[in-house]
Amino acid sequence: MFESIRLYPVSAMKNLSGISIFALFWRACPLYMLAVFLFTANSYADTQEPAVVVITFPATSENVISRSSLRAIFGMRLGKWPVDTPVKVFVMKDDTPEHSDFSKNILQVFPHQLRLAWDRQVFSGQGQYPEQVASVQEMLSKIASTPGAIGYIKTNEITKNVRILQIR
Amino acid sequence: MCASFKFAKTAAGIFIQGIFLLWTTFAHAENLMGSELQLHGFLTQGVVITSDNNFLGQSNKKASPDFREIGVNGSLRPISDVQLSAGLLSHKAGGTDNGELRLDYGLIDWTVSSNEQGRSGIRLGRVKNAYGLYNKTRDVAFTRPSILLPQSIYFERTRNVTVASDGAELYLDRYSEAGSLFVTFALGQPQIGSEAAKVALVGLIPNGSFESKLMPIFQAIYEGDGGKYRLGFTTLQLDARYNPGVGDVLQAGQMKFTPKIFSAQYNAEHWSLTSEYALRPTSNKNFGPNAPDSTIHGQSYYVQGSYRLASKWEALLRYDVMYADSGDRDGKEFAAATHRPAFTRFSKDWTAGVRFDLTPEFMLRAEYHRVDGTGYLPVQDNPNPSALVQRWDMLMLLASFRF
Repeated sequence: MFESIRLYPVSAMKNLSGISIFALFWRACPLYMLAVFLFTANSYADTQEPAVVVITFPATSENVISRSSLRAIFGMRLGKWPVDTPVKVFVMKDDTPEHSDFSKNILQVFPHQLRLAWDRQVFSGQGQYPEQVASVQEMLSKIASTPGAIGYIKTNEITKNVRILQIR
Repeated sequence: MCASFKFAKTAAGIFIQGIFLLWTTFAHAENLMGSELQLHGFLTQGVVITSDNNFLGQSNKKASPDFREIGVNGSLRPISDVQLSAGLLSHKAGGTDNGELRLDYGLIDWTVSSNEQGRSGIRLGRVKNAYGLYNKTRDVAFTRPSILLPQSIYFERTRNVTVASDGAELYLDRYSEAGSLFVTFALGQPQIGSEAAKVALVGLIPNGSFESKLMPIFQAIYEGDGGKYRLGFTTLQLDARYNPGVGDVLQAGQMKFTPKIFSAQYNAEHWSLTSEYALRPTSNKNFGPNAPDSTIHGQSYYVQGSYRLASKWEALLRYDVMYADSGDRDGKEFAAATHRPAFTRFSKDWTAGVRFDLTPEFMLRAEYHRVDGTGYLPVQDNPNPSALVQRWDMLMLLASFRF
């Protein structure tokens, strides 16, 4: 008897505390997840680099281009704009964040595959490498001054001397 | 010992300086009369050590350095539709190639029409053969998945026949949201007149040479999702005639080779899976009593996975199988008829390799091969068939620099 009395509050407390902890957990769970989501989304928004856009020589006739044509241009296969001007492709170094972002998110081709595609064309005599620029400033000045030029840049670095090309 | 070390150090120093001089002189594109001239090249040195047999030189239980690839190339675009290109190559590969300088390719590429949906054009001159996924740049280490291309399809011993042809290649590209399609059709004269080509096709003893009709090659490659999926089909027809030498054991026969290659590749961000399957029927006739008329169906395939461990590291695992005659896979019928080892009729090669890119211009590689059968070994390095060993291991090391 004594034993049972002594046991009772303990098990009751165990039970009680167990229920309350689970209940709390389940109630808090969606809230917690929401908080985590908001927090990470918020921190992404804070730390994420500005998106990269495709830019061209300001007098280029095109305003929009399909992704498949853009892939052919940056794959160094398609060398002419529809109005017959030669395309001049400018890229940044393979390991820059701009190049990686452009390849993965705009072309949707992995940077190492783009490099391999260029290598295969150059070393069989079927194509040439794009011109590599050393800085954002060089990218801007080349695109602004070379007829038929195409390249890419972060949205916060665009100037009036280049035109944004939309992807269809 | 000390003197030779000093010499080696000085030589290495001069060599490295020379390379950097070359690099800084040529690596950048030059403007030539308003059109862009690009000059590039590569230098690859390999070392091969085998437990038995010889491959790429005298490699049996010692290090063979007789595997070297040196190339330079230039391209010029006088107008946007036309490119002139030429590549010179020295390819040293044991007894099969002495490394003499050759014109690897030399062509004029004219894009006849192009628009947003595609392009078409023609390449005239010496054009690299579109054969499977890797043949066009088979001698450029940076574009290969491994030190040694899968030998079941990219035979080192018959490379002279398959590497390039003199003639024309028509090309047609289609770019659409559903994917890109690249089709080529070439008609050209293969490089089949050499001693190495003769040895590859009929062995060391006959002393004649081959000549070929114009060889048609057709290839179609479909790339889905920006190159994540690649599917390819290649076929060609080599129709060659044998001109016997003085007192030759063979008569003036004909050989017809009509391979078909099916290629598939999946590329994820950190890994790739590649497989190619080839049917290689060869028919011989009128070679006389020493080589009765025959048609044999060679068969090849490999499955290859590569994984990018980190930005500079890549690992590779491959299983590569070749049967000289799919009707006699274990070579027993061949052995009974010729008294030569059955295991010379197949090879099953497990390969594990690693690649390290020190810089974008400098690459190091190592790979290990465990091979059952000697089907892909060139006879020039292994003239005595009774000295061959069925199960053998191979370690390969490679350093490659490009500019």
